[in-house]
Amino acid sequence: MSGFHRFSIVMRMVFMCILIIPVFAGLIGVLMPAFGFFPALGENQISLQPFSQLLANDNVLSMSWLSLSTGLIATLLALMGALLLVAVFYQRAWLNRIQHLLSPLLVVPHAAAAIAFLFILSPSGWLARLFSGSDMNNPLPPDWAFPYDPYGLSIILALTLKELPFVFLMLLSTLSQPQLEIKVKGYLKVAQSLGYSQITAFMTIVVPMIYSHIRMPLLAVLAFATANVEVPLILGPNDPPTLAVAVLRWFNHVDLSMRFQASAAAVLQLLVTLTALACWWLAEQVIRKLSRHALLSGKRTWGDDVLTLLAVAVVFVYSVIALLLLASVYTWSVATYWPFPQLLPDGFTLMHWQTALRSLAVPLANSIILAFSVTVFAVVLVLLALEGELQMTKHMSAAMGRLDRSIMHITLYLPLLVPGVAFLFGLVWFQQMYFSHLTWVHLFVSHLIYVLPYVFISLAVAYRRMDPRYVKVAYGLGKTPITVFFAVKLPMLFGPIAVAFALGLAISFSQYLPTLLSAGGNIATVTTEAVAAASGSSRRLSAVYVVVQIIMPLCGFILAWWLPNVFFKPSLKANPKNQGIKVYESNP
Amino acid sequence: MLTSLKLTSVSCRLAILLLCALYSASMQGATVQFHAWGGSAQVNGYLEWVSEQVEARYGIEVNHVKLADTSDAVSRVLAEKAAGNLNQGSVDLIWINGENFAAMSEHGLLLKNWVSQLANFPLTLPEKNTAMVTDFGLPTQGQEAPWGKAAMVFYYNKRYVSSPPKTIHELLHFAQRYPNRFSYPLPNDYLGISFLKYALIALNPDNRDVFYQPVNDTVFRQRSEVLWRFLDKLHPLMWKGGRYMVSQASTLQRLMSDGELLLAFSFTASEIPSAVKRYDLPESVRTYAMSDGSLGNVHFIGIPFNSAHVEEAKTVVNFLLSPEAQAEKQKVAVWGDETVLDMAALNPMQQARFQSETLHPSALPIAGIYHLLPEPHASWTDKLREAWFARYGERF
Repeated sequence: MSGFHRFSIVMRMVFMCILIIPVFAGLIGVLMPAFGFFPALGENQISLQPFSQLLANDNVLSMSWLSLSTGLIATLLALMGALLLVAVFYQRAWLNRIQHLLSPLLVVPHAAAAIAFLFILSPSGWLARLFSGSDMNNPLPPDWAFPYDPYGLSIILALTLKELPFVFLMLLSTLSQPQLEIKVKGYLKVAQSLGYSQITAFMTIVVPMIYSHIRMPLLAVLAFATANVEVPLILGPNDPPTLAVAVLRWFNHVDLSMRFQASAAAVLQLLVTLTALACWWLAEQVIRKLSRHALLSGKRTWGDDVLTLLAVAVVFVYSVIALLLLASVYTWSVATYWPFPQLLPDGFTLMHWQTALRSLAVPLANSIILAFSVTVFAVVLVLLALEGELQMTKHMSAAMGRLDRSIMHITLYLPLLVPGVAFLFGLVWFQQMYFSHLTWVHLFVSHLIYVLPYVFISLAVAYRRMDPRYVKVAYGLGKTPITVFFAVKLPMLFGPIAVAFALGLAISFSQYLPTLLSAGGNIATVTTEAVAAASGSSRRLSAVYVVVQIIMPLCGFILAWWLPNVFFKPSLKANPKNQGIKVYESNP
Repeated sequence: MLTSLKLTSVSCRLAILLLCALYSASMQGATVQFHAWGGSAQVNGYLEWVSEQVEARYGIEVNHVKLADTSDAVSRVLAEKAAGNLNQGSVDLIWINGENFAAMSEHGLLLKNWVSQLANFPLTLPEKNTAMVTDFGLPTQGQEAPWGKAAMVFYYNKRYVSSPPKTIHELLHFAQRYPNRFSYPLPNDYLGISFLKYALIALNPDNRDVFYQPVNDTVFRQRSEVLWRFLDKLHPLMWKGGRYMVSQASTLQRLMSDGELLLAFSFTASEIPSAVKRYDLPESVRTYAMSDGSLGNVHFIGIPFNSAHVEEAKTVVNFLLSPEAQAEKQKVAVWGDETVLDMAALNPMQQARFQSETLHPSALPIAGIYHLLPEPHASWTDKLREAWFARYGERF
């Protein structure tokens, strides 16, 4: 084995360690104070005091319930919506159009989407203006429940809107895997020749086939939905809030002893997320049992017309909401005074952009420097790790190979399944204890934890799918492994690398909690500034921040699509389907 | 001949002595180190103006040491005292109030009884305006001179509301008449707790001295009773039925802009016209102060006990209290900080300085604050906040 191969295998270990160690260190850092052990605050005794303190709070149950219910419902809706769209539009021209509609929404940060939602949902937003516009006698915004409604409907709406494109694109990328695609299309043809309608055939045959492929990303969505901070912080109620928001508040409380309760609550958040995952698993089992009969009933159509109508409705509502969201933030960002119930502002001005860009200069630079350094590091590490994987698994038995794959799979999803509020705080304590002055390093690591899995997932399929004959020919011509890697593999992967790079940038740009915690509020990025401005005095400035947040990742993706065309595109020639944003499922 | 020679030599010697004295004085460096929070471009700009003026008039240089946190300067003086530096301190002037004053006063870090020597101090009418000599319930004992004040002002949208509430009781009537159009931030917010303090004091018109002494449970229970009854009635009439309250004061302004609220309040009167100019508030917004009193706190300038330039520092403070400097500070374009001088103590010429500006219609009218309610003793704040959360639940 050459030195380069050995190096790449070591890098694969490093890759896994970067994902595993911070998460476990963070969990330990949260578990200790949750059980009353925190020497820095003079507590050296293990006790259940923090938990009893937490449970004495009347709101704990309702907070946990709010987290659990909003997360489960939003994930379920996103899955159903995505399945419906794929089932109805699969193999139709519309599928491409829908993909183009949904792809940009994928890269909009959650915080930005939530703030944009705040704009249209609030009583003075466009929806209210549209529906109560004519009553000039009472030109005041209506007093309705959104946002901040006590049941978290606003949270569910925003999460569904954000997660549906992700699940949809996951489904599409699974369906575009070559072996699977051939199988799916063949089965569909057989089913249709037996008289099954296309939608029924898809639901009964294809969905059971592809579900296992999207399961992990789906669980990651569920874990995120139950534990994220930015969406409920911006749209959720505060009496009580979701558990994750309460954890954040308690951790940041001036009274340091509240940190024990906060740690206990973080552990509870872990349990809530686990409960959600367990509920999901249980539902999977029940549906599997119950659906067996339905799948084999031989019924040829299941209300295709209704489903088609529903799918069209979903697309319609989606387009309207997406359009309203974008138009609304753009309009607010250039609006002069805009009294209710006018549909348009009195006039337009660039004043807010001038003000915002001046104050955004530093956060913007921070965001870009951080995202670039993290993503460059991530892409290089992932490429080496993938090369290492290839070298390592070559000599493994089939069983060992499978074991290795599943370990990798779990490692990849570890940071996405363990709630950030549960481990990031613990991680921050370790950081403060040992290397408190290395703020940028902490920030780098905490972003890397989130960027690495996405970059890996996005590059893995392309890497594993690469035609091995080119490599063999190169070796046959006497090239060294290092030359093959740089001169053959990397150029072939130029397109996917560019997309992975853009994805890495987008993920780093969108991080709120890791940025806030690791930097202790000392390093501002566009996202942290935008969340702060969401509760600020100026809706107009807040709108500018959101627009900037949307433009930043889009720039990355536009470059990623454009650059391969400018330079060279061997991989595209080899496989023309590699265009577009595709977050590939790492094939188990 | 001889005598004249002698005379010239004497005068020469005198002149040389005088030159030496002047020289040594300038060598000592009449640079006053003014330690003040430097986070506001407006404040920094005003202090530059002060520096120019003082240099031109008195030949004293003022150096603004821009602090990120005032407590940094407090701990520096404390460290100097601990190190035995009793007359060569590095801080000559310090901008403080509230807990920083309490800390400095407790540790004897401030020069005492110098404020009454200032020629301009009587213009604040300290006998009438006790807030000028009280800092969060603590008597200043001549350790710090008032510099400016912030008072709670209310603002309303004239387009929908013709007569805004002028007292705490009218506020409840307002809420009944316009349900869901008023709110206040949660008490962890500065403005939220300030509203509670205002309501507490305004609802207890008699014997207010207790608010300026450390709180105890019995007094708190007696005095807060009426506040809870008031809030129990107010909350269901508030925005979102009081179920959701904003966690940051700045959100109130946004809700006012949208018409979701028709009445809100602020501690910085000057921010309202500037928000109107930025289109963040409608032109029809008007600012006013409650007639039953405006919770206000005065911010002060202190001289550390070990200042190396006590006389120069006093000269600077006296200039800061002059009608000219106070009027400049009050200009919205400069800083917009309310003057501590009482208009009644000024002659018409001096008063005119404060009126030279044409006010934006949405700005607080000149002398619009009827009556300043000094901040209660600091111990009331914590007690009030705890009791509020205990009663209305922990909110976020």
